[in-house]
Amino acid sequence: MNYEWLKVFLAAIFEVLWVIGLKHADNLWAWLGTAVAIFISFYALIMAGKKLPVGTVYAVFVGLGTAGTVFSEIVFFGEPVKLVKLILILLLLIGVIGLKLVSEEKEDVQKGVE
Amino acid sequence: MAWIYLILAGLFEMTGVVMINKFHQEKNWQSLVLLLAGFTASFLFLTLAMKTLPMGTAYAVWTGIGASGGALWGMIYYGESKDWRRIFFICLVLGAAIGLKLVG
Repeated sequence: MNYEWLKVFLAAIFEVLWVIGLKHADNLWAWLGTAVAIFISFYALIMAGKKLPVGTVYAVFVGLGTAGTVFSEIVFFGEPVKLVKLILILLLLIGVIGLKLVSEEKEDVQKGVE
Repeated sequence: MAWIYLILAGLFEMTGVVMINKFHQEKNWQSLVLLLAGFTASFLFLTLAMKTLPMGTAYAVWTGIGASGGALWGMIYYGESKDWRRIFFICLVLGAAIGLKLVG
């Protein structure tokens, strides 16, 4: 289960990278890196959906990606820190932890032995 | 017109999410192509919508339609858990993400 969640987190980390890339890339290498990040991010996202419920995976992917982007804009790009942003990030993390606790992996036996 | 683009962007995003489920069930290249096409079309329509609408609003609505629509579809057609705790935490994550996009 933890290995599957690692894929979701990996997808979200690369999502943050390509969102920053789309906004700030200004040369060939930066665009290339952005493209690679999009690929890794979606690959990890799709693979995580194999064992975990896709609705959960996508919500966590979008949520962590958003929180990570807001957080890195504060840390790396000097965006103003607002209390409301911090509270929303905290609520979001509570939601992600909650989802991890209540989610079960899909049973392979349901689909039959492949 | 911008709102129509935005709703289309949300629906295409939802298509992409649904296709992840379909791809794992059927393992064929058609669903993989539809998955990638869904997300690509979604981004194109989102970009079009953002030409007129404020970025935060556009992103928030797009996230809301795509992610909650994908989750609902998973519950109805792919037997994903309808446990109230799961629904609550998905709403919490999406609510916070939408909030962040609106204040960001």
